[in-house]
Amino acid sequence: MKESATSIASAVITIFLTGCIIIAHDVSTDFKQSLVALTGHHWISVSVIAIVLFVLFSGLLMSSKSARKTLRADDIGLWSTTLIAVTLTMILGILAVLIAHYLVD
Amino acid sequence: MLLAIGGIALVYERWIGHALIAIISLVLMVYALTTGAILKGRIKKRSPRNVFKLHKRVGIYFGALILGSFIYGLWIRLQHGESILSSVHGKLGLIILLIAFLQLIPSLVLKNRARYRGLHKMMGYVLAPILFIDASWGLHNGVIGGTKSLVLFHSISGGLAALALVWIILEMLHPTDKGLARARIASYLAAFLITAGCWIAGGYNYLTVYGSQVKPVILAGPHPWAHAIVMEAKEHIFVFLPLIALTLSITLSVLNRDTFLHDPKFRRALTMIACLALFMVLLMFLMGAIISNAGQTGTEALK
Ligand code: HEM
Ligand code: HEM
Ligand code: HEM
Repeated sequence: MKESATSIASAVITIFLTGCIIIAHDVSTDFKQSLVALTGHHWISVSVIAIVLFVLFSGLLMSSKSARKTLRADDIGLWSTTLIAVTLTMILGILAVLIAHYLVD
Repeated sequence: MLLAIGGIALVYERWIGHALIAIISLVLMVYALTTGAILKGRIKKRSPRNVFKLHKRVGIYFGALILGSFIYGLWIRLQHGESILSSVHGKLGLIILLIAFLQLIPSLVLKNRARYRGLHKMMGYVLAPILFIDASWGLHNGVIGGTKSLVLFHSISGGLAALALVWIILEMLHPTDKGLARARIASYLAAFLITAGCWIAGGYNYLTVYGSQVKPVILAGPHPWAHAIVMEAKEHIFVFLPLIALTLSITLSVLNRDTFLHDPKFRRALTMIACLALFMVLLMFLMGAIISNAGQTGTEALK
């Protein structure tokens, strides 16, 4: 069991990027419009982007040994902690932006 | 505790008290299942001293609470002057009550349990999904009054996914030879329920019915934040959850048994991930109940 954290690492990267996209689309109406244009609804676009990113990064990490090495994909303790930290941060970020938005309007 | 439950029941709508008793019994049931599995050595525990006593006591409390919950439910119905046991929730409740009694009475009365064992085992494990389905169904009835099957379907999927995640956590905390194989099955179940039940069915309802019928009502009603904050947060935070569930499945399926049994670091990491997923499912559940409630008060306000 050497690189058991590979898929956790791809999930962390995906959640971070998707979270940023979500926060950005709540801040910028233009960006939200382009997400709507992509599939017809911003939530579908976000869902599709999350899947695509996850597949992309999993593939990338699985095919490149050096990437796995630099990311320390064998350290499951490190990556599970990071997963929790990143996910909770993104949840709080999304909540903060939505609440701020609501109070401003 | 009973006083507290009674007080809460009087302050809120009547069914909240009934639901609280049911949720406590849900927790007790998980506890009874765990101690039962420890008794059989399915799950290992370092100090198996008083497990039998514990299992027995938890079993008795569970039975009492189920009986209480059932009578409370009937009482709500009678107060509204409605016919009893006509709803699916009520009928499932009757089945749960029957199973609980078949689980309790023979265990307490029989001297020789040999022939009854198989039944006790089967009913014990069957009880878990039925109770989760019935609780989701009851919540659904209480919050939105019984229609909308797609909404019901996605919240039941979420409830069962929570059960599967609790199962994974238990397997990680008490590792045995076959534990990894069972944890894998539970993780595939969780991933399937979250993807098919919550993501696709929940999302379909959100895009079709909710967007055109419920959302405008909430925005026009007394709690517009229930859409603007809670629903917007729910739909987006949710997107992380299938990824976490998939990762959990993938990681469990590449893990080999020796590492699982002998390296606590892996189990700790997987427990943490499963706890994160469980937390998020429960958060989704809570947010969903708030949204449906706002839809309901919004509709009443418009009348
Ligand atoms: C109503 C709640 C109860 C539930 C949900 C429940 C559930 C279970 C489960 C799932 C097992 C494990 C079976 C297996 O994995 O093979 C078990 C075992 C066992 N239970 Fe219960 N149980 C309940 C009440 C009781 C009570 C009240 C007693 C005794 C007075 C009892 C006595 C036992 C014993 C002795 C075992 C050990 C296995 C055996 O001999 O078959 N249970 N129970
Ligand atoms: C979280 C869990 C639960 C919630 C939210 C819930 C909610 C409800 C609601 C809203 C009603 C309808 C009251 C009315 O029509 O005004 C009800 C009725 C009822 N509930 Fe539950 N319930 C839960 C769990 C349970 C459980 C575990 C049982 C089984 C022991 C149960 C047994 C009943 C019964 C027998 C009725 C009467 C329904 C009929 O006669 O058709 N409930 N519940
Ligand atoms: C783990 C995932 C999820 C869980 C546990 C969950 C749970 C719930 C619950 C318990 C309700 C209350 C309705 C009822 O009592 O039946 C609800 C309502 C709702 N959920 Fe979810 N949900 C999840 C995912 C989603 C997703 C992915 C969406 C779509 C984007 C969604 C959209 C909705 C909507 C629109 C409502 C309000 C329905 C109405 O009142 O018309 N849910 N959810």
